Amino acid sequence: MKAIKPQVGHQVGRSLPRLEAREKVTGRAEYTHLMQLPGMLQAKILRSTVAHGRIKSIDTTDAKKIPGVFGVYTSDDIQTVIPDPYYGPAFHDQPILAIGKVHFVGEPVAAVLAADPHIAEQATQRIIAEYEELPAIFDEVEAAENKVLVHEELKPAGTFADLKHLKGRKGTNIALDFRLRRGDVDKGFASAAHVFEHTFRTQKVLHLALEPYASIADYREDGVTIYSGAQSPSFVRTEIARLLSWPENRVRVKVPYLGGGYGGKLYIKMEALAVALSMLARRPVKVALTMEEQFYTITKHPSTFRIKSGIDKDGKIIARKCEVWWNGGAYADVGPRLTQKSGFTASGPYDIDNVSIDSYALYTNLTPAGALRGFGIPQLVWAYESHTDMIARALKRDPVDFRKQNLLHDGRPQATGTILKNAAIEKVLDRIAERLNWKKPFDRGQGVVRRGRGLAVALKAVISPTTSVAVVNVAADGSATLYCGTVDMGQGSDTAMAQMVGEVLDMPAESVRVVPRDTDVTPYDMGTLGSRSLFHMGHAVRLAAEEARDKIAALRRELGEPEGSNAPLGDLFRKKYGMQAGNIVGTGIYKPDYIPPDSSGLTTNATPFWMVAGSGVELEVDTETGHVRITRLINVADVGKPINPKIVETQLSGASLMQLGFSMFEKMHVDGGQITNASLADYKIPAIHDVPPVMENMTVDAVQDNGPFGAKGVGELATFGVSPAIANAIDDAIGVRLTELPMTAEAVLRGLYVKDNRPLGDD
Amino acid sequence: MRSSARTINFTLNGRSVSVNVQPHHNVVEVLQAQFALFGARESCGQGLCGCCTVLVDGRPLSGCLYLAVFLDGTEVVTVESLAPTGKLDPVQQAFIECGAFQCGYCTPGFVLMTKALLEQTSDPDDEQIRDHLSGNLCRCGAYPEIVNAVKLAARKSKAGSTG
Amino acid sequence: MTPFDLVEPASLKEAIALIDPDDPDVRPIAGGTALMLMMKAGVFRPTRLVSLRRLRNGLGQITSTMDGELKIGAMTPLTAIEHSSEVKRAAPVIARTMRRLANVRVRNVATIGGALAHADPHMDLPPVLIALGASVSIAGISSERSMTVEDLLTGYYETALAKNELITELRIPTQGNSQAVYFKVTAGSVDDWPALGLAAAIVSEGDTVRSVRLVVSAATSKPMRLTAAERALNGQIANEVHLKRVADIAAEEADIIADIRGSASYKRELLRVFTARTVRAAMEPRGAPH
Repeated sequence: MKAIKPQVGHQVGRSLPRLEAREKVTGRAEYTHLMQLPGMLQAKILRSTVAHGRIKSIDTTDAKKIPGVFGVYTSDDIQTVIPDPYYGPAFHDQPILAIGKVHFVGEPVAAVLAADPHIAEQATQRIIAEYEELPAIFDEVEAAENKVLVHEELKPAGTFADLKHLKGRKGTNIALDFRLRRGDVDKGFASAAHVFEHTFRTQKVLHLALEPYASIADYREDGVTIYSGAQSPSFVRTEIARLLSWPENRVRVKVPYLGGGYGGKLYIKMEALAVALSMLARRPVKVALTMEEQFYTITKHPSTFRIKSGIDKDGKIIARKCEVWWNGGAYADVGPRLTQKSGFTASGPYDIDNVSIDSYALYTNLTPAGALRGFGIPQLVWAYESHTDMIARALKRDPVDFRKQNLLHDGRPQATGTILKNAAIEKVLDRIAERLNWKKPFDRGQGVVRRGRGLAVALKAVISPTTSVAVVNVAADGSATLYCGTVDMGQGSDTAMAQMVGEVLDMPAESVRVVPRDTDVTPYDMGTLGSRSLFHMGHAVRLAAEEARDKIAALRRELGEPEGSNAPLGDLFRKKYGMQAGNIVGTGIYKPDYIPPDSSGLTTNATPFWMVAGSGVELEVDTETGHVRITRLINVADVGKPINPKIVETQLSGASLMQLGFSMFEKMHVDGGQITNASLADYKIPAIHDVPPVMENMTVDAVQDNGPFGAKGVGELATFGVSPAIANAIDDAIGVRLTELPMTAEAVLRGLYVKDNRPLGDD
Repeated sequence: MRSSARTINFTLNGRSVSVNVQPHHNVVEVLQAQFALFGARESCGQGLCGCCTVLVDGRPLSGCLYLAVFLDGTEVVTVESLAPTGKLDPVQQAFIECGAFQCGYCTPGFVLMTKALLEQTSDPDDEQIRDHLSGNLCRCGAYPEIVNAVKLAARKSKAGSTG
Repeated sequence: MTPFDLVEPASLKEAIALIDPDDPDVRPIAGGTALMLMMKAGVFRPTRLVSLRRLRNGLGQITSTMDGELKIGAMTPLTAIEHSSEVKRAAPVIARTMRRLANVRVRNVATIGGALAHADPHMDLPPVLIALGASVSIAGISSERSMTVEDLLTGYYETALAKNELITELRIPTQGNSQAVYFKVTAGSVDDWPALGLAAAIVSEGDTVRSVRLVVSAATSKPMRLTAAERALNGQIANEVHLKRVADIAAEEADIIADIRGSASYKRELLRVFTARTVRAAMEPRGAPH
């Protein structure tokens, strides 16, 4: 097809402001938590006060008597409308309301409906639930010993072939174990000149989107409409349809904007409960959580990672053994996927002949853990980039040179055996080092305040295989509309997709209308997660726009337009249909190739693209108090060719600031299964004074050959390297190595005192 | 449980209004339920995040911690007052130009806080900006862009007032 | 929140009369920031709240007397105190402390009387006020009395107030040559509640300490004078060796509480370090930043 000179100039590569900017700055953007439907009832939830127990009784008599209470419900009621009310993306193990047992403090046990949420709340206080407490398990490594069991039997979802072997398995807390064996690590260690082994731990933290979880269900006999801040509306549709034994097309999921997601609003959160209650009440029902209730919904996986490396006399890493225990909490959620899909990158961006990885998903009696920006990668990088740095220092090697000597490059196999392509790891490392003036001497100070610098690089594979579908609809006046299921939760996906449509159809991105997600309208998408959308949905959008473009070209030819003509589309339609009538519709479906790993975890096609990023840090340590002040934070990433450079920059910045909180002070304090700091008063997230005075966010010059317009995703990238870069800088400054998160001032001071042989007391 | 509903009168975004409220209702609930104004939204519920910011007699406060009955006789301003005819306020324009938001949930709060700051100090320095906004949270982490937006808004407001 | 009655008395006398001293479900409400938190958390379910809003004018003034004593009405919002030129002149440490106290929105609503009556041990103002030698006037059903802020705050969220007494005024004596500083030490995010608060008011002559008040807060159940440390410092030359000794004394004498913000051992170390830093800062020539 002869290329037509673009009328409006390139749309990809523009840093245009987000399309929904006006709505957001005027306070008119719609969010589920704020939505009202006529006749709506509000639900309030009674939650378990014990970490593990049999439910002896639930007495709802007094609660029901309160004036204004519409109804009080337990799992007995739920099961009258949904007989098998267990859900989950990997395991169907999570009940809508607890059945027979509770498995974590905060698990929903009963629900009250009332028009007035104050009354519903009051009524939950009058429900009397009695439990027979059972022994509980909280630590992931201990849980693997299977001395105290969380569940009697495993319930993997039948849809996943690789989990089938787990069905009905009893006597274990291990929901999944993933193993990867490449070469022979034992031989490698035996022949190594140096062997290093360290153990690293990460803590329980959570998303804390400012819009807490909320879903509204409006159940009718012939269909149910669900309004939800959901990152995966297609999944909600299929899962609710499965629970109701309905065809998919009777379940409609509508998603407005999300007040933050970060992975928390995936799969099923409040949707199933809202649907069940709406079925029972025959009224629209809203389940909208408080900030506090988010602590009892979904969190990040705490982890323990024991990592051992063998180095030869020339400084080459020849063997690396990784054992990772993931603390999945009481229900599997997407933990098993994470255990495998992130597990296989546990050895890091390094070229190592002999690799052994064992990655375990554990059940414990804590709030379930699921996907949180990074999907397990930040925990892995925390360990392997701290470990790699410690090795360099122990061998008196420069940390950058040591990494460069061992780095993976394009054309080399990653641990799975998949050959790296378009993974600009060395470029990223070099850029970080350059911005840190790594080759120049660095003054670490001599007084109370010491200075240090450190860096870290990482890679991640994208969840595969997944499918995205998009439809581009050109109207008779030439205006274009995009229907796609990617959910814009602030990462700018609507804008990026519009830019891609505009690029193909030669129209300004601002003129493309991206419809809000509605499964009656927007076609299937696996989910907005794991930085997959730009690539997968981007391809689907590009293909849909190209099909529309090709149909328009065909229409031109049909109407006898001269080659290269750019007569307005409106004219074409009028010519064909006699008036402003008709549509041209293009569809795109994209699913990348993928080869599942064999029994050794190996595959030559683990991922359609690699994510590569790193961070560099300069900081100060007050050696009298342990306070760490990060003076410079540098984030560098390979995103191929950015579709919207400004949005890419803000995604890098925002992700790194979120990870900063996880690195330095965020932690869910758990005492005997009880969360003692379940509120923003006692669980602090980064605020404006926590931002480092100097931040630099940049991408390296790169192309993703198989990416839409040479691009790939960015959302999670700047979470990868922040934690170990800081730990490496602290080690650089004061010779103290922290191996657990968060790196609080107290942790630093304790480290200093241990180093000085006068450890602090334990009280 | 008995309660003593009462009628309160105040000015809301420049208009005199009269509304019946229960003593235990907070400002956010009343603005949403009675006036369909959703720019101020309850998030942390503890006055720590700023999503519920409203201006009462020119001063920003946390609507989720303020009893609606206390609005009686006051002048209340919400984010919806800033672009009454559709033309964006310089603060809103600055936020857009600087990309000072992502998911947008905290944005009305930041916008109103910025309005209040610029009324008080027309050319705030970085320290003043950060101190003023220390109680507004953005989980998406758009703080650097927000600081830039405040500075740009200050320049725009100045230019607007002299131009 | 459970529904409740709200009454809005027009006078102090009326307000006091409406508070039944034997009914824990009836309480006065000033700005309401602290009370709203308790009500929303369900730890306080009132049947009646006695609003003090109509007393704002009478109890919301800031004045200084001829001899430099500062009088602040109990219903004065914290931002009014923060921006008052009289307060800045009389006790500049207060405005400095306010910069990082909670946030602007809370300060616009919270009143000084309400803050003191709440007695949250993490608050920033109480240790500062104790260091300044401040006192409060209290009105009861048929009497008035006065006491120091130090005596007012008796324990963990506890005060010496009877249920139907209201603070009417805060008084800060003239500070003369005394220089006061406050260090808020947070151990997690920058704007967290403090793990340790330390206020010092010192009159010094060169390197010699003529008088000192040293108050620890946040790490203890209530703000406490570090009297042993004060005695060790009073009249002495504040050199490094001596400050180290005083710091050790301070760390030993305080009854430190462990919580999610820090273990007792760590907070003790903070107290040790910050005693020296606080004293040094309070002895800097006037106007030097700290």
